[in-house]
Amino acid sequence: MASDRPVREAENRLEHFNADRERLLAEVERRVVARRVAESKLGGDASLEYVLNDVAFSEIKRLEASRQKNGALDRWKDLSRRLMAMSEPDKEQELRDLVRYYGRDVVGNFDPRVYKFATGIGPSLLNTLFSPTTAFRQGFGVLGNLDQRIHPDGEVELAHRCAERGTVIITPTHSSNMDSPAIGFALMRAGLPPTTYGAGKNLFTNPFISFFMRNLGAYRVDRRLRFELYKDVLKEYSTVLLEHGYHSLFFPGGTRSRSNMIEKHLKLGLLGTSVTAYKNMVREGHANRRLYVVPATINYRLVLEAETLIDDYLAETGKSRFIITDDEFSRVGRIVEFFRKILAHEGSVVVRFGRPFDPFGNDITDDGESIDRAGRQVDPATFVRGASGEVTDDDQRDAEYTRALGRRLSAVYPKLTVFHSTHLVARALYDEVARRAGTRDIYRLMRVAQSAIPKADALAAIDRLRARIAANPAWGAEHPGFVNQASADKLADGVKGLSTFHTRVAVEERGDSLYASDIKLVYYYQNRTAHIPVESSS
Amino acid sequence: MSRAETVGIIGAGRFGTALGSVLARAHRRVILWSRDPAIVDAIQTTRRCPRLPEAPLPEPLAATADPRVLAAEARFLVMAVSSTNVRERARELGNFLDGSHIVVHAIGAFATPSSDPAARSDGAPREIGRVSEVVAQGLPTLKIGALAGPALPADLVAGEYASMVIASAFDEVVAEGRRLLNAPPQLRLYSTKDLVGVELASALSGAYTVALGLCDGLGMGVGPRAVLITRAVAESSRLGQASGAEPRTFAGLAGLGNLLVRAGGSATPGVRSVDYELGRRLAEGIVTADAQRTEGARAAIAGAELAAKLRVRMPVLSGVAAVLSGRAEPREVAALLGDTVAVEE
Repeated sequence: MASDRPVREAENRLEHFNADRERLLAEVERRVVARRVAESKLGGDASLEYVLNDVAFSEIKRLEASRQKNGALDRWKDLSRRLMAMSEPDKEQELRDLVRYYGRDVVGNFDPRVYKFATGIGPSLLNTLFSPTTAFRQGFGVLGNLDQRIHPDGEVELAHRCAERGTVIITPTHSSNMDSPAIGFALMRAGLPPTTYGAGKNLFTNPFISFFMRNLGAYRVDRRLRFELYKDVLKEYSTVLLEHGYHSLFFPGGTRSRSNMIEKHLKLGLLGTSVTAYKNMVREGHANRRLYVVPATINYRLVLEAETLIDDYLAETGKSRFIITDDEFSRVGRIVEFFRKILAHEGSVVVRFGRPFDPFGNDITDDGESIDRAGRQVDPATFVRGASGEVTDDDQRDAEYTRALGRRLSAVYPKLTVFHSTHLVARALYDEVARRAGTRDIYRLMRVAQSAIPKADALAAIDRLRARIAANPAWGAEHPGFVNQASADKLADGVKGLSTFHTRVAVEERGDSLYASDIKLVYYYQNRTAHIPVESSS
Repeated sequence: MSRAETVGIIGAGRFGTALGSVLARAHRRVILWSRDPAIVDAIQTTRRCPRLPEAPLPEPLAATADPRVLAAEARFLVMAVSSTNVRERARELGNFLDGSHIVVHAIGAFATPSSDPAARSDGAPREIGRVSEVVAQGLPTLKIGALAGPALPADLVAGEYASMVIASAFDEVVAEGRRLLNAPPQLRLYSTKDLVGVELASALSGAYTVALGLCDGLGMGVGPRAVLITRAVAESSRLGQASGAEPRTFAGLAGLGNLLVRAGGSATPGVRSVDYELGRRLAEGIVTADAQRTEGARAAIAGAELAAKLRVRMPVLSGVAAVLSGRAEPREVAALLGDTVAVEE
């Protein structure tokens, strides 16, 4: 490790966040306003009038659709009316006000009392923070032991060294709203610093989960706001956080994977802020400060929202729902049930960390130095420099770099996948069902009557699947705690999980036969293995 | 002139030398790199390259055998080496380049497969290497592009009008290429983002040149020749589309343009390529050993494998590959032209 590492910048600074908050917001405001004003000289779509109108139009449309009856709608209508008569300085002031308004909306409040509570200092705060419902207390009680059931593994040591040397960006797969607390606990258990991250604003309405979000330094992302200025504020906020050494977490998949397949097509919006932040750091003369992107997978034995997610995925009309507000996550009782089931099972959640990349998708050495595809050490700062060594701005170039990083992430996710018994049993059963029906098409399988699958056949299929996985590490691996488990036990455990947790029974056991009672749920769980080719003989 | 205004050319072969000559004559600073010190000496002392002695190499052009000098003097580099050497040259030069360099290759062929089992997989297909993928494996920079089109060294040296297309996913690569390589009126550059299309079209045009040599060797006449050319564009476009490329690229400079120039025409006798001559020899029943295969022959076999993998029907290309592999007679392949199922064009 280099001796001149920027320790001051690398340490966890979340605890200093409140002191930094105003400075960060001011920096976001300064940058966004300066950029927009400079671009407005080009006129057309870049003019301040267009930018402000875009905000007003989008907000009016959103509020009218939501039928909210408050003064907000009038505010935007008023802005829309005044816009034509406004002078350029007035427009600039309006822009500044809006950037500040959305900046504050994104940052929210970081409550140090909550943070202290999370670190075990203030448990008495519990009653003041949450409504004392029975379900909630039960939920919280079991949650206290949740971290015992979360197993972090993989390249933890290297991630730790990277967090010491520079700023890390954890980039996990995303399948559940429980991902945030799960990875939070995983980071804690792995001895890694907590991260800041963007979470859907709708999630903050659930006091139970909101508690943990705040602990983890979550900022709020309002996905209903689609206009460019809001995205600008959001990206700039993320950029500024990274530049100031705040470890961050992005879900590159964007939203939860509806199908439960490992994400292939990543949304690169926030991920792109890693290149921008690093470029800014180099420009400021801090080329030796490093940013590291740490791939991770979060692997659940059971996914809380499985039923809603797979229904949404398969429903032709609902396939593209971006925000789901009425899923299992919105029902505290289901969350409690989820925790209860999780606690009943050792290692129900495995978070596997991969080797970090630099922001350009380069591998790194054990010392955190970037290496190119031929294994040679390369200075990452050169990727943003021009012919004379000057740092150059080129959004298209940076977007290509981010795409390259995204390709590396999506290529490494399968290898980091951990298969629970539920996945293996679901895959084996789906293979057997598909073989008998002559099709793997889920829509066709949903229409045919489910035939009995002899347990012996399912067991043989599991045996073959396990052997294939063991022979192909690039596909992922079995849960490390159950590699030596007998296939019969694996089958029993998977069937138990798939038949008892969800409100719908996914797999039924009758005598010596198994039935895929809910083929959609079986499909959902087997999808975690979707990158594993179908057996050629089946 | 500054580093930003300098073009580095990797390889003092016929094309690299001709391009250097055109640019130097347009008062562009050029640094030509060759591994062979004798060639470097010859250029420095006689202002001529032994591999293309008819090309004048005036003063703005310098030659070096030192890759450090090349990397330090130029950020924009054109790689003009043989497809069989590209992997090794990229690895060799990669020791001296960094993330800021821009590398554009001018190799109209597929790269030969790697013998290195440890080559990193980043999701791209490994079996049949596009040259940019191979170059990317050897260099630190990600800013890579391709230069292709019907610009023959002889035409460039003679001052004939020539056009090429530069392709890259990076706008900066294309913009810098057009800024530094455009030498109007003699050399004009067109641009595209379709790197996959340009590389496939350029490599496959070599394969179809073999087919045209076969066609001419069999004495098939002007009509079948025209059919062959249009079917070549059609089927290579289909393969391109299946590979993520834009079909129209195959009717452009890298595809049709390359095919027409490589197979030669009555106006330019003597410029027909080795691929074309190979096709003629095959038509005469002369069997060619694997070691003597041309880039076009290798492209035919590799392209046919890719087509099979992507399930794209390519009767002409598959037929040429079959003749080259000894699985079919030239006459049988000629029959394929009349044998294709009549479908919408």
